[in-house]
Amino acid sequence: MTVVAGIGYVLIALGPSLSLFVSVISKKPFLILTVLSSTLLWLISLIVMSGLWRAFLPLSSSSWWPYSLLIITSVGFQEGLRLFFWRIYRKLEDILDAFADRMSKPRLFLTDKMQIALAGGLGHGVAHAVFFCLSLLTPAFGPATFYIERCSKMPFFLVSALIALSFVTIHTFSMVIAFNGYSEGNKVDQVFVPVVHLVAGLVTLVNFAHEGCLVGIPLLYLMALLILLHCSKMAWRRLTENRGRLESSQ
Amino acid sequence: MNLHLSTPTLRFLHFSRLTGSFFSLQEPKLNGCLNANRDALRVPEEPDRRTPRPKMESSILESIGVEIIGVMSPVSICMFLVVLLVYALSPANPFSTPSSPPIRTAANLVYLENPSDSTAQKLEGALLNALVFVVIIAVVTFVLVALYYFKFTNFLKNYTRFSAFFVLATMGGSIFLSIIQHFSIPVDAITCFLLLFNFTVVGVLSVFSGGIPIILRQFYMVSLGIIVAAWFTKLPEWTTWIVLVALAVYDLVAVLAPGGPLKLLVELASSRDEELPALVYEARPVAPPQNGGSHRTNMGLLAAGFSQPGSVEMQSVSGNSGWRNDVDGSRDTLGNDEGGSSRDGREEISPLVSNARQRRSSSSDSPEYSAVNVSTPNRVGHFGDRDSQIEETSPLVEAVHAGNQREQAAMEDDDADDNLGLNRGIRLGLGDFIFYSVLVGRAAMYDLMTVYACYLAIVSGLGCTLILLSVCRRALPALPISIALGVMFYFLTRLLMEPFVVGISTNLLMF
Repeated sequence: MTVVAGIGYVLIALGPSLSLFVSVISKKPFLILTVLSSTLLWLISLIVMSGLWRAFLPLSSSSWWPYSLLIITSVGFQEGLRLFFWRIYRKLEDILDAFADRMSKPRLFLTDKMQIALAGGLGHGVAHAVFFCLSLLTPAFGPATFYIERCSKMPFFLVSALIALSFVTIHTFSMVIAFNGYSEGNKVDQVFVPVVHLVAGLVTLVNFAHEGCLVGIPLLYLMALLILLHCSKMAWRRLTENRGRLESSQ
Repeated sequence: MNLHLSTPTLRFLHFSRLTGSFFSLQEPKLNGCLNANRDALRVPEEPDRRTPRPKMESSILESIGVEIIGVMSPVSICMFLVVLLVYALSPANPFSTPSSPPIRTAANLVYLENPSDSTAQKLEGALLNALVFVVIIAVVTFVLVALYYFKFTNFLKNYTRFSAFFVLATMGGSIFLSIIQHFSIPVDAITCFLLLFNFTVVGVLSVFSGGIPIILRQFYMVSLGIIVAAWFTKLPEWTTWIVLVALAVYDLVAVLAPGGPLKLLVELASSRDEELPALVYEARPVAPPQNGGSHRTNMGLLAAGFSQPGSVEMQSVSGNSGWRNDVDGSRDTLGNDEGGSSRDGREEISPLVSNARQRRSSSSDSPEYSAVNVSTPNRVGHFGDRDSQIEETSPLVEAVHAGNQREQAAMEDDDADDNLGLNRGIRLGLGDFIFYSVLVGRAAMYDLMTVYACYLAIVSGLGCTLILLSVCRRALPALPISIALGVMFYFLTRLLMEPFVVGISTNLLMF
């Protein structure tokens, strides 16, 4: 439905991440590099998964259980990749700290570490939005729109943009929670993130049912809200702890 | 049919990093006037803090990676605009070349691709095309080396000016016209001609003369890259891919192999301590946010008086040999060289030697932007350049010059308007811009997913090359890694990923 609608859909999916990018990430070049590398990692994971599943495609769109298998394997692989990303980040943190020592500058602050985690999550989220939503949006810039029978209340593009938005949120903030959980050794956080990811992925299976998206989308936003609340609680706790520790050391 | 010279050149990259010594110099200032800024980075504190924090320096996160971003952003902008152009002009394309055979360019000499040919025929034709193209480029590079060797610098310079003018006027003009046609913009012919003329003349001026702000130069470099890349995307598909791969291989050979023309060019230029004759994009180093601004001393004014902005760059090629011994073995993997220096108060400028590379694209109707020898010995600025260079190459007289140098280098980073001409930044040859954009433009003709995948591949290839550069410290070709990754990702995405992702996302299934 014309360029305006197309841009609108793009902004629905990517608007918050764009504002996050402009306000937080674009100021520090290292964070931009982090975003790019985490996007690349997500892309590679997607390519590997599609390589694995290529032989079985195209799956029939009537039965839902092959898709659930697909989602479970993909989510599992991506969570494994998150762990790998964490390992790389640890090495990088050591290198950065050594660099800082050599420069006689302070080591990485807690806010720095959280910003790096945020950038990593944002990279994942943006990659998700681009590959799952934006690549399908090219017809939306044209003169017409498109509905699918399973979700006939809204244009297909709008539905996919809304789902992409919730997933962007989930990806972005679950990386912060996950990194925090790994660094503190907090088992709850470490398990929380993959579980939420998996549940969110499986919730989208609801979209298979007729008019399932009316149920599926609110559920997804519930999960996104859950992640947001948990992340903000965790961040607040750590920051106040840190503040207390710094003041007591002065 | 008009064949023009095409010469790939080498790429010059330098880094310059001011390190801890500089910041220790700045520390008294930091405590005083930058508390407010620094606080924004800190954990939020109560407003009535009684004692300041022990360390008020900013986190290193602010300054790492600036140079890499300085190169990656113009590359990204160039690619983005080429993709936009391809999307905007693509419906118009079948009509713009009405029923005549496709443009015959130097890349198309042997075989004109026809959609109805068989695969084997297309492949064979494309290979022949690529071979001819690479041979032409190699021959022209050798001619350029010969010309440079015999010091025909004025000829080279004027030829470059002419070709830049020609590219901007004709190729750029034709693109403008097709945009106007496509979007039905109401503008009359005289205005259009006048605008185009102004654009072209300012472009020619900004590319080679001094006195033009760096941002304008960068803008024109990027637009030259966009224009030539947009024209290259008109090549047929198979030919494009194979030419890209062939050029990447050629680049690798020409820069690294002992008899390679680009290597000869670099060595010639470095032995004469001159700028390479090249069209390069340079990303000036960004002054760090905490510069005092008022740090100019007499030295700075002197140097400012001497130097001509834009055309006199630090020739760090031979100067590096003195530095290399000082530089510490350990370096971080981010491509930012710190180079531990045992001498206190001396900047660890870590010059990374590489060489400017310029690629000339050849197509029958398009002129070549030729290399130009930017530094002419009778410029006063050159003197200032050489002066500072000597300071760097002689560690024995470092004690004498350390003071000057510190100020000078402090000046470099302090300089906000880049008029000092002593700054060093990363430089990337224009040919790299062009061929990256060609790859992405060709990916754009398929799907947006391939565009994104190829963009990520190219950017990561560029990052790898920069990191490799900081490790190897010599001229490195920018094309091979990026093009290899880009081509690989394109085909992987197209064949593997797309059925997967499209299949599940059209069912509104996401993870």
